[in-house]
Amino acid sequence: MDFQGLNELALKQATRLGAEDAIALTASGKQRMIRFANNSVTVVNHVEEAEMMVYVAKSKRRAIAATSNLDPANVRRFVSNLFSSLKGLAQSEYVPLPDKARKFSPNKAGFDRKLDQAGSELPELAKAAISASLKAGGKRSAGVIEASTSESTILTSSGTVGADAGTSIKLNIRSFAENDASGHGLSCSSTLADFDPESAGERAGADAKRMVKASEPEPGRYQVILSPEVASNLIESVSDAASAFSVDAGTSYLADKLGKKVAAASVSLTDHGWVKGGLGGRGFDDEGTPTQTTEIIRKGVLKSYLHNLTTAKKWRAPSTGSAGLVTPHPWNLEVGSGDATYDEMVKETKKGIILTSNWYTRFKNYRTGEFSTVPRDGAYLVEGGRVTKPLKGMRAGDDLQRMFSSVEMLSKQRDWVEWWEVSTPTLCPWILADGVKITRAYE
Amino acid sequence: MNPAEAEGFAEGAIRRALDSGAEWAEARVQGTKGRQFIMKNGEPQPSFFAEGYGIGLRVLSRGALGFAATNTMESKTVSDLAWRAVRLAKSSSSLLVKPIRLDRSKPARTKWAPPEKQKVEGATDAWMRGVLKEIEGRISDGKAGVKIPGRVMALGADLDEKFYINSDGARVVGRLPRVYFFGSLTAVEDGETAQRFIQQGETGGLEVVKRIGLVEKVEEEARTLGKVIRNTQKPPTDTLDVVLSPELSGIAAHESVGHPQEADRVLGREGAQAGESYLKAESLGRKIGSDEANVSDDPTLTNSNGFTPVDDEGVVGKKRKLIKNGVINEFLQNRVTASEFRTSSNGASRSVAFDREPIIRMSNTFVEPGDYSTDELMKEVKHGVLFKTFTEWNIDDKRLNQRYVALEAYLIERGEVKGLVKAPVLEITTPRLWGSVKARSNRLEFEAATCGKGDPSQGAPVWTGGPETLLSGIKLGAR
Repeated sequence: MDFQGLNELALKQATRLGAEDAIALTASGKQRMIRFANNSVTVVNHVEEAEMMVYVAKSKRRAIAATSNLDPANVRRFVSNLFSSLKGLAQSEYVPLPDKARKFSPNKAGFDRKLDQAGSELPELAKAAISASLKAGGKRSAGVIEASTSESTILTSSGTVGADAGTSIKLNIRSFAENDASGHGLSCSSTLADFDPESAGERAGADAKRMVKASEPEPGRYQVILSPEVASNLIESVSDAASAFSVDAGTSYLADKLGKKVAAASVSLTDHGWVKGGLGGRGFDDEGTPTQTTEIIRKGVLKSYLHNLTTAKKWRAPSTGSAGLVTPHPWNLEVGSGDATYDEMVKETKKGIILTSNWYTRFKNYRTGEFSTVPRDGAYLVEGGRVTKPLKGMRAGDDLQRMFSSVEMLSKQRDWVEWWEVSTPTLCPWILADGVKITRAYE
Repeated sequence: MNPAEAEGFAEGAIRRALDSGAEWAEARVQGTKGRQFIMKNGEPQPSFFAEGYGIGLRVLSRGALGFAATNTMESKTVSDLAWRAVRLAKSSSSLLVKPIRLDRSKPARTKWAPPEKQKVEGATDAWMRGVLKEIEGRISDGKAGVKIPGRVMALGADLDEKFYINSDGARVVGRLPRVYFFGSLTAVEDGETAQRFIQQGETGGLEVVKRIGLVEKVEEEARTLGKVIRNTQKPPTDTLDVVLSPELSGIAAHESVGHPQEADRVLGREGAQAGESYLKAESLGRKIGSDEANVSDDPTLTNSNGFTPVDDEGVVGKKRKLIKNGVINEFLQNRVTASEFRTSSNGASRSVAFDREPIIRMSNTFVEPGDYSTDELMKEVKHGVLFKTFTEWNIDDKRLNQRYVALEAYLIERGEVKGLVKAPVLEITTPRLWGSVKARSNRLEFEAATCGKGDPSQGAPVWTGGPETLLSGIKLGAR
């Protein structure tokens, strides 16, 4: 399909009707997925979709609309209807698109042709993960492998034009053994060559085996060693709080903290529009601003919120290339590495708990950052620098600023994480933090 | 959506799937239109309109399921997709330990829609802005008795139109209009903050806004934040009674009864995502709660947020009595799990869009009402806490260990509701919670919610509800 041709059609219609600013953005994708449970395939999915989003503005009135009907006649009708809807709107926060026209070419390094063509390999890759888990001690595994190709094109009334494309493949495997013991493994990659289902399966199976005799911990404050998966889940909430929209909306614990210490000096958090090995992102945001590398937290100090053009004007800051026309958002997060090995982190832990996976993080109050999360799969008690026993049936609670301010060590090794509980691709180390509250249920 | 065109695409796809070797096939053409208006701190955000139209196909071949979807609505593309779905299913059968079978009974042939007075297609930005401005007028600038500097509100009106057929003769045409509201209110006073997320929603037309008293409800929530933010009273730490409001009864019913009684979770199908269940296939008939524990799921409630009178596998929905007098009575079933359980589907299969596989979902899950009036139930409490609304909540993936942190909660002494207590925490196992139910009021109320499940993710609109539910012999924690 000629997406840039459709963008031109939409823009022509919008400007003919009198739009002062207009953006046409198309996104198309191809998802191939295999799901399995109890070591057996449950469904194979193949979805091909394309969508166009159009933004129009006139006299400080702004409207956005999306359609999946890309028939040219429909696109013309759709843009006309969108433009007509401006009449019913009130004037709102408005920032014109920049005059400067830019041109964006696809970043070829983020696109793996082999992965784009992959499909029939998925059952074999799933089989490899399941077999590795069985060998490591898992009895039965559930999981999903998803191979994605995404392509985007943009055209704005300022003349900015661009296209980008990317691929990714992800495995999420969970293995079970006796007594509902479970372990979790992930493999995430932008290329088929770097995808490693065996290692993920092995980790899931080995943890499931180790968890068979798990018991509940005593409630109290503990040091915690967070796996890249668990840390990424919480870091995603930090990045949500760094969106200027959240700050304005009263749902950010990072409000009023620009330039202030919000984490330990060892903690740095960066967002990349595109980064080698990253699983998502593109060269331009939804407003045609170039995406970039944005330091959110540098050595524990909050350096920047994430901005689109509208929030940037309000905060008298430049756009960080993070649009979302309404809500700025991150593309690929990176937590700075430390210099410790995992073994050194365990050795430094006097009374702590290793958490390898979690889910259901929920907030009491986003403005204060108070949350709790439910650990699952591999979890282990550490006493005097030694792993002593597997643990289950607990909940971890804290507030984000206190917890990230108590970070004592970060690992040198980092993994890319994106799965059911982490939607923004994140490159993250193991993190050792102190004083996290562990509770368990009243029985 | 043009029904004749939809029928043409769906029938063509089924034919091609069967010709390609499918033993069974279904096709769902779905058109979606939605308009949403957001106001942040009184400032209108760009209005948003979305329309989608596509087809989702599911086939069974060599004992494996294949699902494929596209929004390129051209005969050849759709036909090729049907062939591809069959090919994918066949090629995955090498990873099949046990062939998948389907309950193929009761193919529905019907049309359905909820009552709708003012069609949702009539929703305009001006109307939505008017409703949100009215709310703003009641809660901004401290008008609700407390300053609320963080206010984000979204009002939306959606229409889903579905045309479904399968190779066993089901033919279902559905129209699903819905009006919804999301709000986030953050109050600040003397360095303290209090926050409330509000969700409202019903199927029906634009009349929903007035029928549910949206403006008044949000104003009341704002006023409550003023009381909550000034309260410093710690909750009691001794053993006591807990009264769950309809809101708390509903979330507990949803999280610790509805989810673990989804048959696909029981069988392990969601193991890598939302998890499995503390219940096994043989748990039907197990006593899990007191005789007063009665929880149901009913997709047929008129104008409910989870209204699904016919499911997305062409099965007529019916009320499911999940826990009856404390006994695990029934699981939520689709055609796949029903076959495994050697029973019939009870119509619990839902898909939120054409590009999503139908999976087992709750609809409207609630604690059944009892015989007590609210006053009578409160009089039963010598020493306790009323959980009226909640903020933070979560539950483990087997649905055994759950936690609800109250936003608005009151001490009850000798049958009388006293002052507020701050953020009591009910962190409790599922058997303890449902085993502690002593009485239920006769006042049944519902809240709108969005239930998350599936991979790719599917947020399904549901209601959660119940009466006041009295739990005895509970120990609370504090935040």
